[in-house]
Amino acid sequence: MVRAVDGVNFTVEKGVPLGLVGESGSGKTVTALSALRVVPRPGKFAGGKIIFDGEDLLTKKESEMRKYRGRRIGYVSQDPNSSLDPLFTVGTQLSEVVQAHEKVPKERASERVLELLQRVRISEPEARMRAYPHELSGGMRQRIAIARALAGEPDLLIADEPTTNLDVTIQAQVLDLLKDLQRELGMTLILITHDMGIVAEMTQKVVVLYAGRVAEVASTRETFATPKHPYTSALLKAVPRVDRKKELVPIGGNIPNLITPPSGCRFHPRCRFMQEICVAKEPALDAIGGGRQVSCHRWKEITLEGTSS
Amino acid sequence: MQEEVLLPKHEAGSQRGAGQWAVAWRRFKRNRSGLAGLAMVGFFAVLAIYGLFLDPVPARSFACLYQGCSNLPPFTNWAHPLGTETSGIDVWQEIIHGSAGDLYVGIGATAIAIALGVLVGAVAGYRGGVAGALLLGVTQIFFTLPVLIFILLFARIGTLLVAQGLGLTLIVAILGLFGWSGIAFIVRGEIFRIRELEYVQASKSLGASQSRILFRHIVPNALSPIIVVSSLLVAGNILTEVVISFLGFSDPSASTWGLILEEGLQYVRTSWWVSFFPGLAIIFCVLGFNLLGDGLSDALNPRLRE
Amino acid sequence: MAGLLSYLLRRILFAIPVFITVSIITFLATNASGNPVELVLLGIHNRTPETLAALNAEFHMGEPIYTRYFLWLSDFMHGNLGQSLYSGTVASKILPWTATTLELQIPALLLSFGIGVPLGVFSAKRQYSKSDVAVTTTAIFGISMPTFWLGIMAIIIFSLNLHWLPSFGAISAFPPYWWGSIPSDALAHLILPLSVLTLVSLATYVRLIRANMLDALRQDYVLGARASGLSDFNVTYKHALKNAITPVVTIVGLSFGSLLAGAPALETTFSWPGLGYEFVVAATSLDLPVVQAITMIITIMVLVANIGLDLVYALLDPRVRIS
Repeated sequence: MVRAVDGVNFTVEKGVPLGLVGESGSGKTVTALSALRVVPRPGKFAGGKIIFDGEDLLTKKESEMRKYRGRRIGYVSQDPNSSLDPLFTVGTQLSEVVQAHEKVPKERASERVLELLQRVRISEPEARMRAYPHELSGGMRQRIAIARALAGEPDLLIADEPTTNLDVTIQAQVLDLLKDLQRELGMTLILITHDMGIVAEMTQKVVVLYAGRVAEVASTRETFATPKHPYTSALLKAVPRVDRKKELVPIGGNIPNLITPPSGCRFHPRCRFMQEICVAKEPALDAIGGGRQVSCHRWKEITLEGTSS
Repeated sequence: MQEEVLLPKHEAGSQRGAGQWAVAWRRFKRNRSGLAGLAMVGFFAVLAIYGLFLDPVPARSFACLYQGCSNLPPFTNWAHPLGTETSGIDVWQEIIHGSAGDLYVGIGATAIAIALGVLVGAVAGYRGGVAGALLLGVTQIFFTLPVLIFILLFARIGTLLVAQGLGLTLIVAILGLFGWSGIAFIVRGEIFRIRELEYVQASKSLGASQSRILFRHIVPNALSPIIVVSSLLVAGNILTEVVISFLGFSDPSASTWGLILEEGLQYVRTSWWVSFFPGLAIIFCVLGFNLLGDGLSDALNPRLRE
Repeated sequence: MAGLLSYLLRRILFAIPVFITVSIITFLATNASGNPVELVLLGIHNRTPETLAALNAEFHMGEPIYTRYFLWLSDFMHGNLGQSLYSGTVASKILPWTATTLELQIPALLLSFGIGVPLGVFSAKRQYSKSDVAVTTTAIFGISMPTFWLGIMAIIIFSLNLHWLPSFGAISAFPPYWWGSIPSDALAHLILPLSVLTLVSLATYVRLIRANMLDALRQDYVLGARASGLSDFNVTYKHALKNAITPVVTIVGLSFGSLLAGAPALETTFSWPGLGYEFVVAATSLDLPVVQAITMIITIMVLVANIGLDLVYALLDPRVRIS
């Protein structure tokens, strides 16, 4: 069995946009999909709790879960090229989601679809409704995927690398849209990304995942200023910055294979502060004051360089 | 100023050193149905070698006609475990000799199809313009044709006209000539896919020659889909050969499973075993190649399976 | 709509070179020895000067080979399919033969598709369960089996031993009729070959639909649709299924070709007097005009079926229309 995500534990506060950060393969997407209980087979839950609004989602029946999907928690997936069904028009796909949330007649549903398309700032929404996904640009498709996630007016929106496959200029537009939507609709955002630049711009709190474990939890400002986990520090060094002349340092080694994860601290094979204890014993996620948590045996002894964001 | 942040002390993945093929073999070994397929193919290969070099009983021997052991039901006489035909031919012996014939047709025709398919696919993939379009068109035509009808037509007329001694080689040639289009599509598709990959782009910018890119990068990558399709193609070719022989369109002196089935249909009212057992041999041999193909596909393209 | 029309037009235009290639291959096959009359004579025992003269006229032997090809093709296009060496004009026979073949092939196609789709979906939804393993195991046996062999087994069991159903022909030539009447007699003759053909082509569809369905269920749009609150039923049977079936439609076209091409063996097993059976009879007796005509007709049927199903594909998948 592959334990993609193991012992991931963090809290999302209402109205505080949260960044879920890590390299690809670190379990970010699985964590998000778990919250919606739509992990593709053969994935399943070995245990754990996902508490949303005081209720454990993992104990819900499938029929109850449907009241959460889209209505309480929205989800925007990674790749705009594949997030929409290629065989149905945009209008059909949006209005069926609208109708899944509220029993409304067809005409009312298409009015609602128009509203949604306007909300995500799509020009000529009537024409776009009749279009098939392949007739639209990547940015446009990602807006439509966002519109679909908004159809049930969720309290929490999980955006899974929403800009990874987009051009840089379109990326900025989509991120702006997400920012505005949070304000307009009072949603809480969980942003999954591997890009620390986006984290700095969009979030107030950061959870850093490494190989299916939480490495560090802190406010965004503290994460950038004084990282406590060597992996976080390494991530910050791998971010290109326009304003500073400093060489980028790639992170050596590879993401460990989750079938046979490294012993002890899963980061030890790539960590320059590695000692015997790191190989022997898995570190606990310690609360270190000020709402911060870190999972490292040596966080007290080492000093890590941050960046002022 | 550069600060060394992280030292790669150990290789994180443990798969380094083991080549792509060793990894695939490890994966294949865990696949029970793939191993079963390999075992079935191996069984018929052994049978074929025994039939070709060691079997004291020749193919299509009518000895029983004179020894009074014709039209025996199966499991009644251990010298003829699967029974005999009215004409005296021993069913088990024909299964043995037929496996050599059918494996020859199945594998031989596939080899020709691969050679032609790789050639056409590579040229169609590399040459743009008229030549590429023309080859693609020809490939599409061969893909659309109901090729079995043409194979039957050529087999019937070819067997009549060409010297009888050619035996199954004529069938091998015809099946190969009509069977390459799928392989050509795969090779062409792989060329288009792989040409876009970063490492080929990189080696291009480093000035690697076209033929070096073809043989160092594209051929090894196209190999795994070709291997998978080849296994399935062998299965299909054996089934086609069975049809050709069953209809009496191939050399009647060559032992094949289809030929026994033809005789089986003649004796269907009296001797069911003449049809039944060779049919089982065909099913398990074809099944073997099909399972092997599926297993190889899982082992070589792990992304297709979760 | 304009996209659809131009797509259709391109498909029809593609059929023309295919048709020409087929006619050349067919003509070459029957002229492989250089002289088709010599070939035909291998099968005729009483050779009189009159038959020789008639044969030379039939094959336009006075002309060079390319002129013969065009004369033959022009005859064919004008509906003159030639003269059977044994039994009158081919044109008068080809329609009943085609009808008999389609009487078997079309129900088999509909049945195997109609049963194969739900079975493939069922299997995919329960991947690796016992019922899935049972279905996939049966299916791989199905594709590994010569269709006609299953036919022979069916004849041995249901005709020769149980005497439930007839073993050959499409109708009884004279009374007593099976189950009392002529229509029921035709049905009785249809059951065995139809079941055999359906079972074997079913195996192909089940495997295809299952594989495509598993693939579709893993796609992001399925995930996205489920995550945005659509019911599992809606996601599976509307989105995933449509995506799984669409590519199979073109394969139905191709497999119609292989079904028709498989007709010779199956029809011979059941002595089913369709195109395939008559092809075998004609090829065996070297009745070349019949062989040529049947080859051409089968190819035309396959091309028409392919164009029709490509059109269905284009209707189902909007992406096809532009590429």
